Amino acid sequence: MPVISLQNLKKVYKLGDNTVNALRGVSLDIEEGEFVAITGPSGSGKSTMMHILGCLDRPTEGHYLLNGNDVSNLSRDELADIRNRQIGFVFQGFNLLPRTTAAENVEVPLLYSRPVLPASERRARALEALRAMGLTDRAFHHPSQLSGGQQQRVAIARALVNRPTLILADEPTGNLDTATSIEVMRLLQELREKQKITIVLITHEPDIAAYGTRIIAVRDGIIISDKPNVPRRVSDEPEALPLAAVG
Amino acid sequence: MFAMLPVNLKLAVRSLNRNRLRTLLTMLGIIIGVAAVLTMVALGTGARASVEGEVGSAGTNIIFVRAGNYTRGGDAVGIVSGRGAATTLVAGDADAIRAGVSGIKALSPGVALRTFIASGSSRAFTRVQGIDSGFAAIYSWNMSAGRMLDSAAAAPEAVLGANLAATLFGADTDPLGQMIQVRDSAYRVVGVSDGQAEDHADVLFVPWQTLQKSLGQNHLDTITLAAEKAGESSRIASDITNLLRERHGITGTPSAGYLAGQGGVGGVPDDFTVETQAAQALTKGLYTPAAAFALANLPKLDEVTLEEMADTLDRASDTMTALLASIAGVSLIVGGIGIMNIMLVSITERTREIGLRMAAGARSGDVALQFLIEAVTLSMVGGLVGLVLGLVSAQLIGWSLGWPTTVSLGAMALAIGIAASVGLVFGSYPARRAAQLDPIEALRTE
Repeated sequence: MPVISLQNLKKVYKLGDNTVNALRGVSLDIEEGEFVAITGPSGSGKSTMMHILGCLDRPTEGHYLLNGNDVSNLSRDELADIRNRQIGFVFQGFNLLPRTTAAENVEVPLLYSRPVLPASERRARALEALRAMGLTDRAFHHPSQLSGGQQQRVAIARALVNRPTLILADEPTGNLDTATSIEVMRLLQELREKQKITIVLITHEPDIAAYGTRIIAVRDGIIISDKPNVPRRVSDEPEALPLAAVG
Repeated sequence: MFAMLPVNLKLAVRSLNRNRLRTLLTMLGIIIGVAAVLTMVALGTGARASVEGEVGSAGTNIIFVRAGNYTRGGDAVGIVSGRGAATTLVAGDADAIRAGVSGIKALSPGVALRTFIASGSSRAFTRVQGIDSGFAAIYSWNMSAGRMLDSAAAAPEAVLGANLAATLFGADTDPLGQMIQVRDSAYRVVGVSDGQAEDHADVLFVPWQTLQKSLGQNHLDTITLAAEKAGESSRIASDITNLLRERHGITGTPSAGYLAGQGGVGGVPDDFTVETQAAQALTKGLYTPAAAFALANLPKLDEVTLEEMADTLDRASDTMTALLASIAGVSLIVGGIGIMNIMLVSITERTREIGLRMAAGARSGDVALQFLIEAVTLSMVGGLVGLVLGLVSAQLIGWSLGWPTTVSLGAMALAIGIAASVGLVFGSYPARRAAQLDPIEALRTE
């Protein structure tokens, strides 16, 4: 059973008198453990796709099956619960809460778990996720005290802390320099390989898309190409640095 | 929802702490409102207690004769005779009043001081009043234990007010038969009074002759008497004034009304004051010259019954209550609007945070709850500060008006409850706005 199954998905926005057909019939299946890079220029519909895949928005038409369940017509709160349990987000701008420690940032999704987790367990799981990202000694630092790469690793820890089946990364390297970008991609590849987590990456950079196992190109609201890819390895990068050296 | 309370509270405190000046300014309306509510309740119940104390004390019209007068200047004769300072009121005056003025139910000469008293290891600083057995009839005392002082004997015996008995001997010891040391004399306790009027519960009563001897003074400080019939106090006070002026050789034209002795025009000031219970109730808290002025201009006051006085005081406190209630109402509404405003600002500033929380799985209710708790925390902290301010201001106003102020736990709970409801009411709109944000839009906000 595919993790994600889109069936003739359409999304129409009404902007005043104009209607914008952001998605014009997208169908695709993503299996567990795939690392799918969705590329396309701005206005191609990739952001809309990302919002629907992330259960932040609902399609106008068609169906979206997440882990076999149709989530196309769920209520706001039902979608919130799906996001909480099954999806981890990694944003371009990190979106860490300022003046809040890394551990507390990672705890945010756990705050909305149902049933409610006790504070001690929230803290333990946050620290565990930070440890997996190699940030144990930064757990009680505020984002302003962390480098860009560290901040993005905190954001990845936050995405992983509730053990989702799907990681949605929206331009995760947009604010990072090349070396740090490569480091983040390596982390995502590792998650896929070691934990079999399905990853959907939205990017407009072909270099970054090249780290996926499958590249889907979107334009004008439809899929124009969908090809398997031999993922680019970090070791292929001449300028790649070992993890410890990446700030 | 309740399980998340500690987290939300922590978030609220952190957020409020981040903009301390803004938080403080926002809370001002609530602070003032709650302080006004508390002051209002304190003064209202205080005034009521005061009036009830007066009315309940005896229910009859009591007349006080005091040594000295309100006057200070003594312009005409060069006497400085502040109230209580004169030594011309003597036991003979009391006998003369008893013999010469009709309609008196009971009378008691009085000597008073405030001093330390001791019994065994217990000490207390309190009022010691020299009286005779007539005092019990004036104030309609019942003895809750033992008996009243024996007038004829003038023995070293004492009667205690109920509070004082408890203070000195505790609840377990029988005060009867205990010895109390006042200055160089020892008194044996023969009774405990149930009297509540004029703080009698805190007073040590001894025979006036004995106290006079112990103090080495020959004069009286007061003569207290009760009229047989309510409404006669005017005539009796006037009779007493004339009698005492004659006995003290004071000449001149007595001014109208029972508070004779202001000298009238060109008269000689009296060296005593005759005052009715009604007058006392009215002038409570007024400065002495103001009290004299008020009474001199109300010659019919003595015909006013104590119940009517109580009504007047009640109305006065109602006016004060209405005033404070409007201040409280307005500041609470303004404070509430301030909270609403600052919550809307805060939500605008934190739109991205809201978007992130929604992406991470926060339901609309979770977001609403977070901001509602922040608003309520803001208003409750304001309420607590207002509570403290209100306690202080109630104390100050009560003290300057001479009104007892009582702040019950219920009143404090009410004040905090009001503050919390202001937060709830005015925080619910911003909270709903936050909850209804679209997560995509919220995440896009810079």
